[in-house]
Amino acid sequence: MRNGFGFKDLVMLALLLAVAVSVWLSMVQRDRQWELLQRVDARMAELEQRMQQLRVAPVLAAPAASAKAAPAARDESWARPGVKVEWQSEVALASDPAAQPGFAEGGEFTEIFEAQPAKLVPYISTDVYGTRVIESVCEGLISLDPKTLKMHGQLAGAWQVDPDGLWLRVQLRPEACFSDGSPVTAEDVRWTFKDFVLNPLIEAERSRSLMDNITDVKVIGERTVEFTFSKALFTNTLNAMGNPILSKRFYTQFEPSQINQATGVLFGSGPYALARCPKGPGDLAGQWTPGNDVVLVRNDRYWGPKSPLASRRFKSIKDDLARLVAFRNGEGSMVLPTSPQFNKIAKEEPDFAKRAFMMKWINMRCGYSFIAWQCGPRPNGKTPPFGDMRVRRAMTMLLDRERMIRDIWDGIGIVSKGPMNPESPGSNPAVKPLPFDPDGAKSLLAEAGWKDRDGDGTIENEKGEKFRFEYTYATGGEISEKLARFVKDSYAKAGIEVFTRPVDWSRYQDLLKTRDFDAITMGWSANSPESDPRQIFHSDSVKEGGDNFIQWKSAKVDDLIEQGRRTMDEATRMLVWQQFEAAIAEEQPYTFVRVAPWLRFVSRDFGNVITYRSGLQPEEFFRVGGGVVPTPAN
Amino acid sequence: MGTYIARRLLLMIPTLLGITLLVFSLVALAPGGIGAGLQVSGGQMSDTSRVMQMQAYLEDRYGLNDPVIVQYGRWLAQISPLKFGPRFQRSPSGAWVRPPRDLPEPPLQGWFPAASQEAVANAGTAGLAAFDAMKAQDANDRHRALQRDSEASRRAYVGTVRATREALADWARANDRKDLLDAKGAADPARFEGMQAVPGSPSWDALAKAAEAMHVARLQAIERAAAERASFDAQPYPSIGLPLIPGTMWLGPPDLGVAFSRNRPVADLIAEALPVTLLLNLIAFPIIYLIAIPTGVLAAMKRGSWFDSASGAIFLMLWSVPTVLAGVLLIGFVANKQYLGLFPVSGLHDTQAENWTFLPGAGTRGWLMDMVWHVALPVTCLVYGGFAVLSKQCRAAMLDNLSADYVRTAKAKGVPRMEVVIRHVFRNSLLPLITMFVGIFPAMLGGSVIVERIFSVPGMGTLILQAIDLRDREIILANTFMIACVNLLALLLADILYAVADPRVSYE
Repeated sequence: MRNGFGFKDLVMLALLLAVAVSVWLSMVQRDRQWELLQRVDARMAELEQRMQQLRVAPVLAAPAASAKAAPAARDESWARPGVKVEWQSEVALASDPAAQPGFAEGGEFTEIFEAQPAKLVPYISTDVYGTRVIESVCEGLISLDPKTLKMHGQLAGAWQVDPDGLWLRVQLRPEACFSDGSPVTAEDVRWTFKDFVLNPLIEAERSRSLMDNITDVKVIGERTVEFTFSKALFTNTLNAMGNPILSKRFYTQFEPSQINQATGVLFGSGPYALARCPKGPGDLAGQWTPGNDVVLVRNDRYWGPKSPLASRRFKSIKDDLARLVAFRNGEGSMVLPTSPQFNKIAKEEPDFAKRAFMMKWINMRCGYSFIAWQCGPRPNGKTPPFGDMRVRRAMTMLLDRERMIRDIWDGIGIVSKGPMNPESPGSNPAVKPLPFDPDGAKSLLAEAGWKDRDGDGTIENEKGEKFRFEYTYATGGEISEKLARFVKDSYAKAGIEVFTRPVDWSRYQDLLKTRDFDAITMGWSANSPESDPRQIFHSDSVKEGGDNFIQWKSAKVDDLIEQGRRTMDEATRMLVWQQFEAAIAEEQPYTFVRVAPWLRFVSRDFGNVITYRSGLQPEEFFRVGGGVVPTPAN
Repeated sequence: MGTYIARRLLLMIPTLLGITLLVFSLVALAPGGIGAGLQVSGGQMSDTSRVMQMQAYLEDRYGLNDPVIVQYGRWLAQISPLKFGPRFQRSPSGAWVRPPRDLPEPPLQGWFPAASQEAVANAGTAGLAAFDAMKAQDANDRHRALQRDSEASRRAYVGTVRATREALADWARANDRKDLLDAKGAADPARFEGMQAVPGSPSWDALAKAAEAMHVARLQAIERAAAERASFDAQPYPSIGLPLIPGTMWLGPPDLGVAFSRNRPVADLIAEALPVTLLLNLIAFPIIYLIAIPTGVLAAMKRGSWFDSASGAIFLMLWSVPTVLAGVLLIGFVANKQYLGLFPVSGLHDTQAENWTFLPGAGTRGWLMDMVWHVALPVTCLVYGGFAVLSKQCRAAMLDNLSADYVRTAKAKGVPRMEVVIRHVFRNSLLPLITMFVGIFPAMLGGSVIVERIFSVPGMGTLILQAIDLRDREIILANTFMIACVNLLALLLADILYAVADPRVSYE
């Protein structure tokens, strides 16, 4: 008989395979136990170290107590004489969670993001998701008050601003410390700027380009540091004080190349700490990597008001539907719904609001979308007719922006009136969006020389040239397609021919840089209550590929921008910005279309969920205990 | 056989070169060009991004200004194990330390002659002197400090080159010489070389000032680079690789490069994504084969029966359901607690799974079962569409053989039916399946873009999709290179298996 591969052999082979797999699995299990042991070991070592520190300095809480001393006893020996010192009140939560019904400590809050941060390293990670996480772990010298959007000292207990705006002296809070208990010193501040951000071996080019105005950071005393600037600009204060302060002790452990390629080296003085932050260079293999949830644990040694939540988790789910289902299933505590999802649930599911807060509000992080009109020549030498203010105003008045928001964005959003965020104190309450007024627009166009001269339904100028232009938009979205059709139809009614030109988003930068478009639609994002408008609207930004890609020049706006930039006093500057916004609204270099609100669903398992002008403050949330169902906080 | 395999292996080299060159050119031809995604991302831009400053830096950092073929050559040199120039060194942290790069030449030498040989030599000597002065320091600290200075002055120099070009463009515009500008409105220094300088205007003065600053910055950059070079040559760290010709040629590990968009080594990114994709596929492919092939065999044996028709119909029906739809339906109904709520929506593990035992027990599902539970839906999506093709192929091959003469002979001489089918027909039907089988190797590495997206699985599909979105050349190339290699090897394997399975096939 032939000795072939029979059934018995198959069984033997299968058995052998099964044995091999179970051996392998048991090895995996052994590895897991070993890892757990390592973690327990590390934790023990840390506890031991803390115990030792406690024995050495049993009065750790003492400085915090002395900081509460009466203002009269404030020591101003660190300050430059003759300049007012801005003392800051103690750091407090914007709304006290402990005063709410059902308050309990502990619990985990899970945010579901659309995408994941590529890395979690301060200054190197610049995406919006990374920034959200870093903001909870690291602190700057100042923070923005969520309610008023005014600057408030975080690590800084007091500061002095040069009346001419060329220097800034900061006194750190004595109680401020990093999450390992070491104090935040002036040397940490100096090191962060001079040896981290401005170190060319650290690949933080994006952050560095914002700091080119900081000429020096000097240590004056143990807790006093002074910044000097090359030019007096209002942005100096925020650039110097708004950025995270890093621990020199912690970050000098790593080589620059290790920091550049790290994914989860995040360590700071904030209310939370990264769960898997490596302790040193030998520990880098255990750091957080993309693909895993980001987990933050409460910093139990936080020097400020402690947060009620024991931990926070950031998940990422790319698919819109999956994100919502995960939230419904309780796999997340907060989710960003899409506009249609928000509307559909609001309309069809009255019960949903009993389980989740449905929030929609405009805050300082809301950007605006617009159509930009080319006022100068294109590279092909042709100049579109938008150089005339009357034409630009007519273009805006021909678009029914209320209806666009209703039909294209499902009614979510408000009509934008200008470049200032509506929540910013720089927004001018007197400025209203131009009305939808086709007749008024037609007469404005006629005034500018554009009317139907040959009765063919399209309008012409004296030379008989038809009014036509190219409308450039980014492909790939239903919204942008709808928008393009709406724009085309609206202008066709007024006898204007629109050629739509869809391009890939990656080509935008090129088109903007070369000014190769007639009209283009896009959005500017926002991250703080005020930003420097020079880059977008000043006539100097027309050249050198600046962001004034519409080549629009207005002497009045130039003056206002320069004036605003040089005004150090916040209140006065806001008045300048209000005038600036009025001037822009008058001139309409852009047709401002829409401010997109934030949409959030937050589970009612959490309390003290408040919508602020700055966004949300998860540091103040708490997991409700004792069967209390929290009421909407506002 | 041996010569055949050797010939095939050698033929792979030009094939791989062709594939990578094609992909490289495609990425370069894409609108916006290589690295376009670096400057823009998402639907909104931030007005604080300082695009111009970033650009000069990025172009220099990744050599994006060079002609495509030069960039391709550089990529080849990087991936090739055969390397030229001095050997790299390894710092204590494990990072590779490379010799400083050459500085770009200043533009417009016709109008503003570069510094004399002597000045350059002096700068070089000054650099050496600076190194000598630091000799006593710890080698690690010294090299790091020199590297930092050198990088800073290089960057300053690159910035001034950029500024000079801008000033040149301004000058051309002020003098109404649009013909000197390229399509993007930037000055093309090559077009100025033959021209006469025309001093005496404000734009000229600005240009002259920018050019002067550029030359000053260049000398400093030369000096600092010389110091760094001297420090590198002094071997602060151990060298890596095997020297072939000392100082000029050596063997080193191939380098897949650093991803533009994330500033991380591509090898690390692949090492993170590949296990996830492999896990899914290693579960999915056996399921497909274990169901499709027996079904195909049975369908062929009972040709025309209800089983044949039903299995064919069901598999074809499944095959025609788009994965996007299936994924969304699974999430919307099977995962959603409003309906069935049987499976989790996303992720590969429960958030608590780290603290559980491996096998079920102690009141938990256990780590292993939890993972199976989590991958159930994505694996379903990967699997259901694969049955039809495989089982139909198998059925057709079986039918071919069932009607063959040798089967009739075997039956006639009284061999039991099962014996005939398993031992003779099935074996002979395996041949076409071999072709299909080798196709799974590249597919294993590729990952499914759609399934990974819907179920938020951070695998290879997600990685490559993001890379394409952001025009991240290094990731795209590394991926293509890897899959092309596996594909070519799999094809070779198929040919060898043919020879093994079918004695009639021979390559001698």
